Amino acid sequence: MNKPEIIEKLKVIVKPYIKNQEAFDTLTESTDFITDLQINSANLVDVILDIEEEFSIIIDNQSMERMLDVKSAMEIIEMKLSEI
Amino acid sequence: MIGNDIVDLVLAQKESNWKRKGFLDKIFTKKEQLQISNAQNSEVMVWNLWSRKEAAYKIYNRQTQIRGYLPLQLECFDLKIIDGFTFGKVVINNTIYYTKTKINTQFINTIAVKNIDDFDTIKTLENRNNIQKNKGIPSYLENETLGYKPVSISHHGRFEQIIFV
Repeated sequence: MNKPEIIEKLKVIVKPYIKNQEAFDTLTESTDFITDLQINSANLVDVILDIEEEFSIIIDNQSMERMLDVKSAMEIIEMKLSEI
Repeated sequence: MIGNDIVDLVLAQKESNWKRKGFLDKIFTKKEQLQISNAQNSEVMVWNLWSRKEAAYKIYNRQTQIRGYLPLQLECFDLKIIDGFTFGKVVINNTIYYTKTKINTQFINTIAVKNIDDFDTIKTLENRNNIQKNKGIPSYLENETLGYKPVSISHHGRFEQIIFV
């Protein structure tokens, strides 16, 4: 799976939880889930669970701690996919 | 140092399914999960513990400048109810934060402090005038002589609370 494919899947995952449509429409790697997309911090766990389901990976606690923006999420997904 | 958090219980019910598989494991320690399953109202306990972690994280974030999604590291201890408030501690990396939580049918509101005496001197602001953010961390200009003071803002659904000491 390449980067554009991952980012497209990620966008589908975060969409139900975002509160800032403009930030979502202009999403880049530097977009922050909480400060930019204004995802409720309790919903970040849903984003993480959805990522686990969609990519069939397990996000360990240490990785979860960094899961605050698109760039970190992509790095973690790519790393976990490469371990399969 | 202070931090606060407010959970609109009606909105939380709409936004989150805490019974979802894996949900509790990602954010609560085994001991906390036991408290949730033993609670009279498990859903209220979920948001009670969550609001403590969030309020404590706001102090931790301000103190250390570390940003992270750390619910498992922020562990809740020693819950007890005094005069209708639930008091407790949240511990992360051997640092203790004290929490005071108000629970009713509409919301759960936690205030966390580093110094327990600060509970007595907390002030509330009605609006965001004279508040500025630096790296996402808000400060309040009380007056020109005293300069900026740490302020904590929480907003969820129908409720907003802004506090400082």
